[in-house]
Amino acid sequence: MADSKIIAEPRRGGAVPAVILAWLLPGAGHLYLRRTTKGLVLLVTILALFSLGVAWDARLSPYLRLDDLLAFLRSIAQMAMGLPYFIARSLGFDAGLVTAPSHEYGNTFTEVSGLLNILVMLDAYDIAVGRKSGS
Amino acid sequence: MSHLLALLLFSSLVSVVFALLQREGKRERIRFGLLTFGAFVASALVVGWLMYPFPS
Repeated sequence: MADSKIIAEPRRGGAVPAVILAWLLPGAGHLYLRRTTKGLVLLVTILALFSLGVAWDARLSPYLRLDDLLAFLRSIAQMAMGLPYFIARSLGFDAGLVTAPSHEYGNTFTEVSGLLNILVMLDAYDIAVGRKSGS
Repeated sequence: MSHLLALLLFSSLVSVVFALLQREGKRERIRFGLLTFGAFVASALVVGWLMYPFPS
């Protein structure tokens, strides 16, 4: 009997590149899996969320020590944005402006954009192995 | 930038992503997206209203 959870034809060898592409650029994993419309909408919305956060003086500098667990987790969340995160940092947006009224909004927007991208990566994986049609 | 604008932008963008990931089919996605957007905005307004008496 066929596995009832398999609802779409998996793309052979597609799961790893789909997840890596999805991490590098939100929606790129879906574009690779030929879910073009879904990939483009994910790209625009998540990139908009991240860009607004950067424009609102979010702090992007990484904190990779475990003595402040929340700061560590928020850095991981931001890094889940992939290339846009590293590009924004290389362009000099890493410090943010803690005195700006929008600073905490910026932090929230950039962190949530990364967390959403983790969900997008999982979705791309599910589509690649045939658990979801994802159309 | 106002708090309300930030709330509306955040709610709309996150709702679109949730709808795309959680539902299949255009009709279901629109319905779920609008529901999620309404839940974000309503809950933020209710929590904000409940916190109003607290000193800043």
